[in-house]
Amino acid sequence: MSDLLELLVSATASGCVYGLVALAYLLVLRPTGVVNFASGEWAMMGAFAAYVLAGMLEVPTVVAIPGAVLVLAVIGWATEWFTVRPLVERGAGHLAPILALLGMLVIYHQATLLVFGGENYPLDGPFGFNRVELGPFAGTSQSFFIIVMTAVIFVAVWLFFERTVWGKSFEAVAINRRAAALMGINLRLVTALSFAGGAAVAAMAGLLDGPRGSVEVNAALPFAVQGFSALIIGGINRVEGAILGGIILAFAEDLTRRYVPIPSGLALGVTPVLLIAFLLVRPTGLLRAKEAG
Amino acid sequence: MTGEQPLIEVRGLTKRFGGLTAVDGLDFEIRPGEVLGLIGPNGAGKSTTFNVISGTYQASAGSMRLDGEEILGLPPHRIAARGIMRTFQHNMPFEGMSVAENVMVGAQTTVRSTLGRILLGTAAARAEEQAIRARADELIDFVGLSEERDAEVTSLSFGQGRLLETARALAGEPRIILFDEPAAGLTPSECDRLGVIIRGIAERGIAVLLIEHDMRFLLPLADRVIVLNFGQKIADGTPDTIRTDPAVVDAYLGEAGGVGADA
Repeated sequence: MSDLLELLVSATASGCVYGLVALAYLLVLRPTGVVNFASGEWAMMGAFAAYVLAGMLEVPTVVAIPGAVLVLAVIGWATEWFTVRPLVERGAGHLAPILALLGMLVIYHQATLLVFGGENYPLDGPFGFNRVELGPFAGTSQSFFIIVMTAVIFVAVWLFFERTVWGKSFEAVAINRRAAALMGINLRLVTALSFAGGAAVAAMAGLLDGPRGSVEVNAALPFAVQGFSALIIGGINRVEGAILGGIILAFAEDLTRRYVPIPSGLALGVTPVLLIAFLLVRPTGLLRAKEAG
Repeated sequence: MTGEQPLIEVRGLTKRFGGLTAVDGLDFEIRPGEVLGLIGPNGAGKSTTFNVISGTYQASAGSMRLDGEEILGLPPHRIAARGIMRTFQHNMPFEGMSVAENVMVGAQTTVRSTLGRILLGTAAARAEEQAIRARADELIDFVGLSEERDAEVTSLSFGQGRLLETARALAGEPRIILFDEPAAGLTPSECDRLGVIIRGIAERGIAVLLIEHDMRFLLPLADRVIVLNFGQKIADGTPDTIRTDPAVVDAYLGEAGGVGADA
């Protein structure tokens, strides 16, 4: 039983990481309609940024975490500026920015590989690696840190979209760009901010996950696949969907791995199989847009 | 009711699409609190004029001054931020949002708090959000949608949607509102209600520019009417002078059998 409760804590923490990557996809997807598969690279780069700041430059964690997030926000902003905006403003089709971002994915990946190589780097969590017990639940301090930080981020993003005029304006851009512009909403600014915000949230996913294993270039693909799966499972219309999808996915994965004997080489296949099965049952995702009730 | 200084001065406004000149050297001005009608047969260039003024289309030539400052060629969101808001001929609500939320989006240009402060949730930023909510409620009452305040916009009737667009445009604290055929698709009683609302807007000192086909709606409402034909202004005057202007009667004869006929 305590084994199961410990599994629940670590699965929730994994779900939070997936949920954050899903949120990074969603922040870009909602106002622009662009599926940004480079979200996984952003998460991986966020972990590297934290490693450079905390591990190499020995900056205190309280500075390293916001610092790494800021670095990625700037990278996200620049990505939009150099690769997406010129295409949109010259009237390129809907698929062109997706292709451009796939190109950026390769550039990010190879550039990080050139600098850091394929090795694994250690990243310390802010609270070390103690075991923490909270009532019946037990897990590493990093797991609890991930859960708390993710909750804070999701509540903040939810409040922004639900409670502020700016948040409503982002939503308005997602619904009708032309009308939004004529109501005085700056489309360029909203698009740039969604890329910056998406990269910042992805960075959080990467740097929170780093201390649970290690920081490595090859982490980008699992981030991208699992984050995207969480997004589809939760439904692409609601912020809450991202975290819900992430947690469901992580529980399904961890429980399957723990209790169903699958050869370790096939473990990565759990996610896509789940995703396909899920889409057959619920093609629109778990949470639908509000108008559908 | 109408001030002395023009709010907006349009000079030589021209829009060409390839070889077609949709708007050809249009001159007009609007004063604060004035209701100006823009009429003309189909294809006369009325909608193009709106689209150029609101920044959707780039003008080919001309000038548009707001308080003496040139604003022609600014992108749409900047034009809106200067206080030029519009409604759409085919309602364009933000579907999936409530009536109140739609109106709040219209207030986007009035938000003064920086995004950083909003994200941090400072007291000033929260107070501003509260003020915008309160103003949105006030405008919803003004157009008579209080009952539908929290309703999702797709549940509104067409006429209610038009009222929502009016409230949303007002939320941006406009100095001028462009109405694109506001009476189209409304029942007679809805038309009456909208007429009262438009008068109320003008009484607040906001200029109103109105494209309209329905002369029974427009002529009693407008202080002044300009008539376009083939992109050029062929008349400019009070509703009474327009009704009898021979050039106007000519332009309309082929289409609707004269001004004042049901369009």
